Amino acid sequence: MSTFIRAPRAVVLAAAAAVTLLALAGCAPGSSNASQGQSGSVSTALTTKKVTLKIQDETGFPVTSNLAAEFTKQHPNVKFKIVRDSFQNLLANSPRLMASADAPDLIRLSTLGSTVKDGLVTNLDPYFKAYGWDKFSAGQLASARMTTAGVRGEGSLWQFGLGYSVTGIYMNQKLADKVGITSVPATIDELEADLQKAKTAGVLPVQTGMQDGVGTFVLQALINQYGDKAKLIDWMFNKPGATFDTPASLKGATKFQDWATKGYLPTDVNAINYTTMVANFTAGQGLFMWDGNWDAANVQKALGKGGAQFFLMPPTTKGGKYVAMGAGNTFAIPSKSKNHDTTAYFLNWIATNSKARQIVVDITGASPGGDPAQKLPTVEKGSLIETALAMSASVGKDDGFTDFIANTTSGIYQGALQPDEQLLLTDKITPDAFTKAIQAFYEKDLAG
Amino acid sequence: MVTSKSEVLVGRIILIVVLVLTLLPLLGMLSAALQSPDRLPTGLAWPTNPHWENFVTAFTVGHVWVLLGSSLLIVVVVVPVSLLFATLAGYALGNLRVRGGRVVLVAMVLGLTIPFEAIIIPLYYQITSYGLLNTQWAIILPLIGLYMPFGVFWMRAHFIGVPRELSEAARVDGAGVLQEFRRIQIPLARPALSALGILLFLWTWNQFLLPLVLVDDPDKRTMAGALGAFQGQYIDALPLLFAAALIVMLPTIIIYVIFQRQFIGALLQGAVKG
Amino acid sequence: MARRALLTGWLFLLPAVVAYCLFVLYPLLTAVQYSFYKWNGIGASTWVGLYNYLQIFTDPTLLAPIGNALVLIIYFTIIPVVSGLILATLIRNMRQNAFSSAARTILFLPQIVPLVAAGIAWSWMYAQTGTINSILNTVGLGFLSRSWLADFGTALPAVGLIGSWVLTGLCTVLLLTGMGKIDPSLYEAARIDGAGWFRMFGAVTLPGVRQEIVVLVTITIISALSSFDIIYTTTKGGPGTTTLVPGISIFRLAFVQGQVGLASALGIVLLILVLAVVLPVQRIARERD
Repeated sequence: MSTFIRAPRAVVLAAAAAVTLLALAGCAPGSSNASQGQSGSVSTALTTKKVTLKIQDETGFPVTSNLAAEFTKQHPNVKFKIVRDSFQNLLANSPRLMASADAPDLIRLSTLGSTVKDGLVTNLDPYFKAYGWDKFSAGQLASARMTTAGVRGEGSLWQFGLGYSVTGIYMNQKLADKVGITSVPATIDELEADLQKAKTAGVLPVQTGMQDGVGTFVLQALINQYGDKAKLIDWMFNKPGATFDTPASLKGATKFQDWATKGYLPTDVNAINYTTMVANFTAGQGLFMWDGNWDAANVQKALGKGGAQFFLMPPTTKGGKYVAMGAGNTFAIPSKSKNHDTTAYFLNWIATNSKARQIVVDITGASPGGDPAQKLPTVEKGSLIETALAMSASVGKDDGFTDFIANTTSGIYQGALQPDEQLLLTDKITPDAFTKAIQAFYEKDLAG
Repeated sequence: MVTSKSEVLVGRIILIVVLVLTLLPLLGMLSAALQSPDRLPTGLAWPTNPHWENFVTAFTVGHVWVLLGSSLLIVVVVVPVSLLFATLAGYALGNLRVRGGRVVLVAMVLGLTIPFEAIIIPLYYQITSYGLLNTQWAIILPLIGLYMPFGVFWMRAHFIGVPRELSEAARVDGAGVLQEFRRIQIPLARPALSALGILLFLWTWNQFLLPLVLVDDPDKRTMAGALGAFQGQYIDALPLLFAAALIVMLPTIIIYVIFQRQFIGALLQGAVKG
Repeated sequence: MARRALLTGWLFLLPAVVAYCLFVLYPLLTAVQYSFYKWNGIGASTWVGLYNYLQIFTDPTLLAPIGNALVLIIYFTIIPVVSGLILATLIRNMRQNAFSSAARTILFLPQIVPLVAAGIAWSWMYAQTGTINSILNTVGLGFLSRSWLADFGTALPAVGLIGSWVLTGLCTVLLLTGMGKIDPSLYEAARIDGAGWFRMFGAVTLPGVRQEIVVLVTITIISALSSFDIIYTTTKGGPGTTTLVPGISIFRLAFVQGQVGLASALGIVLLILVLAVVLPVQRIARERD
């Protein structure tokens, strides 16, 4: 840096002038037209031409690869190219990927965010009508709907789920026997008693992590039970006036912090991420783990058949209704795709073709969704996947599915939930300050 | 300089401690990389049953052949082109002393301090508008531009040091500027060029932010950029991640060990000139 | 002839200038432009004047990363330069042999490794079951062990020390070269004056490597303020916002939260911060010359 030279005034002036010009020329960045590449008429007949569908998916979830292979086997003229990146990178990149000239035909899109407003995703309403998706469970499709004003849960359909997940609690059977737990808890009080039993016996009660925010499963499971879930759903769906700052959230956050203080959570909870959490639990560390059905096969493989149980978060009172987070493994068709009809055909095929449904269950352990009247794929008797499907059904019966609060806005998970829960669990903020901080971020993020 | 024996001893001990600290993270990672991929690794200990096959697994799971190809393609374009542009400009500024060259020089000083983060956002939209997003060009083109300030300063410093009589003599012999440049200046500049080349290679190979933002397909990134994707869910077993990180380091370490002298020389000159 | 020479000269300059303008100056100006708008990166944008800058200087969550980056200067600049001075002196006082050249090679190694890989290596050092804790347990200091990157008190120093690890070798080797250029007769004269080791270091060595120190301070400050790779691979800014730096905030704001205008403004603030810290260092160096 010995070559630093004082910038001559002329250079500075020229730069200033250039900036002013750019600013004044009114060449504002971005385009204002959110035009929809929608033709109106759609076809449900599969093309006979040779096409290659490009799918953008996350790493670690291979189900699209298996589905694509099976589809190509049945329809050799349709081939697939699947690109994967980590969930976090994909989350960051998806709006820009969809806006690019070589947009994929199908993209894993967990949060709609402002994609509808920006005209990036294809409106699936015409396909809904053409394929008769009204036979599907309406609750499953609700979170994939959004109005033009950005409110989710109503309006047109934009996403399609490849299987529907359900979250619950895994229990290590060996540790349960050790601390003397004979049946899965039926109420939150019973659950807390079990946590204390484990603690007293020197067993880590809960395996979870907060480095990447995975422990949000625990927090939301509590909030779900402590109040009217419709209010939380309104908030997740960004209804005007909805708030996170509710008694239910406060109670949930207080309990969560309380568990951390009592030593129910790992002492290094802020260092544990999703991968570590699952690895720890399957290695026998921790009595309970809040997680989704997608790990059912993993857990069973590691702990052996009967080595673990999987059950729903219990309600506050015996016989109360089940509420569980569950979401479609949702994909969207970017409006820039050139193969809308073929991609939609592929989606419909996944929900209706018996081979495809079997693949969804075998690979993800998730309920295949679709028409409830359709036969469920066969699963191994007594397996955790079988349990998961049953859990899914009972939550469905109670109309108890909610989305994940992490999907509320595009920035909330990394920007607020993750850092603020880290603070909450280490007693750096009060539960009240926590709920207010989340709400403040939410408002800022929506104002964008 | 005369120093007492005890001083020498203390000095050696301090130095050895620092050397151990320097190597410790890499050794720790190696020990973890050799543990069973099915479990969380523990502690710093040579595993009794080293899983060398982790490296093979990481190599295949991580598409390392594809990545090596992609990284090489990027390096093979970026480094020579940057060298050429920088040499031409350095010659114009250092030897020909072009009128108005000072403005160029001053404008480039700014470029030496710009954090990549300050311009990554517009670069993203610019590359998108060229339709080059998700191609290796999205990394290649900006890197050439970003290397210009440093490269030009570097080559200018070299050409200033070359006696001007040399080129005058060549002109008397009737050589044109171009001829003189090719026949006399380029051969003389070889050491400066190779040092700059080493630096640019290293910076390109290790570049992370540009690939992360501009190329979403890990297979089209640089080695370091792809490693960022491994860290997601690409490779969810820590021993495999560590093995992959070691594989990514290996080419630069090998080149470093072979060309050690030039390497250190280049980086040091780079520091002083930069 | 003069005009032809001028033309030739500019032809030589042209490729470099075009590449620089196209991929550095133009994006920089565009970033300034974006910073005056509210834009989610895709839809329409609205002109908001200096509002984004106002937000940066009033929102604690946007100011925190700037503060953290300034703290990182301790680890990226002060520690490496000071330990570089000590180590270089030690190596210099040593006879030149295989050991001293091996020492140089090893010390320099971290400079070769991609920062991403360094981050991954160090996240294992700091992990709950990782290298540091296992050493602590072995020597009976197990009660000190913790997840260094997840602890609110230790996370920032922990990522800072990764920077120290990367940069100490560079500082040592560069200072060593600088010391090699000092005239030995200066030391001789000082010794005749009866100067001890410390006086000699202060009176001869330090002034002798002043130029190198200025260079190192400049480079390391820039890498402290614009750090990204190490944080991205170790903590991503956590726990809480204790290790959040401007680079991570910019990335997140622009590419996750769709606040392109605000992110661009933060980028410009970062650039100005770099200049504001680096230019005075240059000035001091020049005045002393």
